[in-house]
Amino acid sequence: MAERGRLASTWLMLRKRPRLLTLIGLGLLAILVALHLQITGPSLAQGFDNLLVILAEAWPPDFSVLTNRASWANPPCNFESDVLCSPAVIGLVQTLEIAFLATLFGMVLSLPLATMAAHNLSPAWLSSAMRSLLAAFRVLPSLIWALLFVIIVGIGPLAGVLAMTLYTIGYLGKLQYEALEGVGRQPLEAARAMGLSRAQVARYFAIPEASNSLLSQLLFMFEYNVRHGSVVGLVGAGGIGWYMQYYLAPFRLYDRVLALLIVLYVTVVIIDAVSLRLRRRFIESDEQMRRPNWRGVFLPWKSD
Amino acid sequence: MPEPILRLTGVDIGFAGEEALVHEINLEAYAGEVIGLNGVSGIGKTTLLRTLAGLVPPLIGELEVLGQSDLSQLPRGSIGYIPQRLGLVHHQTVGYNALMGALPGASWWQTLLSLPSGEMRQAARDAVEAVGLSEKMLDPVSLLSGGEQRRVAVARSLVQRPRLLLADECLGELDETTSETVAVQLLSLAREHDTCIVLVDHSPARTAALCDRVLNFRRGRLVEDEPGLIRLPMLGGDN
Repeated sequence: MAERGRLASTWLMLRKRPRLLTLIGLGLLAILVALHLQITGPSLAQGFDNLLVILAEAWPPDFSVLTNRASWANPPCNFESDVLCSPAVIGLVQTLEIAFLATLFGMVLSLPLATMAAHNLSPAWLSSAMRSLLAAFRVLPSLIWALLFVIIVGIGPLAGVLAMTLYTIGYLGKLQYEALEGVGRQPLEAARAMGLSRAQVARYFAIPEASNSLLSQLLFMFEYNVRHGSVVGLVGAGGIGWYMQYYLAPFRLYDRVLALLIVLYVTVVIIDAVSLRLRRRFIESDEQMRRPNWRGVFLPWKSD
Repeated sequence: MPEPILRLTGVDIGFAGEEALVHEINLEAYAGEVIGLNGVSGIGKTTLLRTLAGLVPPLIGELEVLGQSDLSQLPRGSIGYIPQRLGLVHHQTVGYNALMGALPGASWWQTLLSLPSGEMRQAARDAVEAVGLSEKMLDPVSLLSGGEQRRVAVARSLVQRPRLLLADECLGELDETTSETVAVQLLSLAREHDTCIVLVDHSPARTAALCDRVLNFRRGRLVEDEPGLIRLPMLGGDN
């Protein structure tokens, strides 16, 4: 009887504290989900033990990946220098090349689709159809696209370029049509009143007016593709991920994998910093908006 | 009697599903004529211009431009529109924006390859010079003052040479000298190229001075004033 009274008073206390009640509810739900997935204390402890073993084997990182020649490189490396033909340099250069080509092809293909998907530039039926198409490209992550293309065109960077290009079309296309829809109504109305075609309105009014955002998104996408270019390599689609997979799967050379990860991390940090600096040039306050140009992107010190 | 450039017969304007802003507009405007529209904010001046530009359909009545009631069938570039905020491409240069006036006359391959003809470029250069911005030809529009931006919008219309030009408060918020400069350029289209201009303005004195006819919005109707009594000397007026 007394216990029932305590339970009732606890329940009353909890009802007066809805946040605490929500937290307890979420905690219970998380425990139930973890049990359903058979995540248990012993399995977590086992995983932690494995992590310690891997860390012990990975440390110190083996930077011979920067100096030893990768005779098994795909495609083969023909430079005399061992450094230029090392797994880290080949992998990193391939990752950057895959990201560059995927971003370039992706942008060229996504921009026309994005202009057709923008509500303010296209009739409703066309923009709905184009949005569905762009969404279809985004449904599969780049890793799954890479798996498909490895099956279709075989192991190597081509599969990576194709996979990343398709994902770029879907992802960048969405960013682009949102930027185009953000263009003010008046330039477009002035253009329409002149009797210009939809293509002319998009090409000469909407795209130039949104160009700051479009260029900024392009830099962001390149950055994103460099990071994801390493992931698609894990399924054989080229890039530094492919070399990580080579060391991981048959040999479990964790120290070399760690060295490759450090090389990738440093590269991504540098690209992030440069990209952020360049993007800031385009996304500033209205008063300081600058005219974007390619020289400004690639040679920023010349454009002032 | 020449054919009117613009003819409205029993036109109500406003937005579908809402009550009309202005009722039963009957108006004819001819080549070379400058018509001023006066009225307080929110009374329907901009909506009327957008209707004339073919951007909003009239609720009832008949609207004809150059004898054509389906405005999408008009030859390209027949109508010019300077919206209240000018409708310029802000990240692009003065020259680029002026050149946009030539776009209606561009062929498909000039559009595709972005290759305007020498004549088009020259027309843009002449228009920018006419509005006194030659030195700023390569400056981005976003870096210009409000008055300079209005001159760029006028330069675009000078290149376009539309048969009907709709200008929404493009003389507002300017100092007297700049306003006069912009007005002179704008009206040169009517005087030299027979463009019919419909000019919305907040200032009754300015519209009376600049326009051949002035119409006022009163109680949901468009009412024509007596002919303007004051004329600016440089516009060729003699009253």
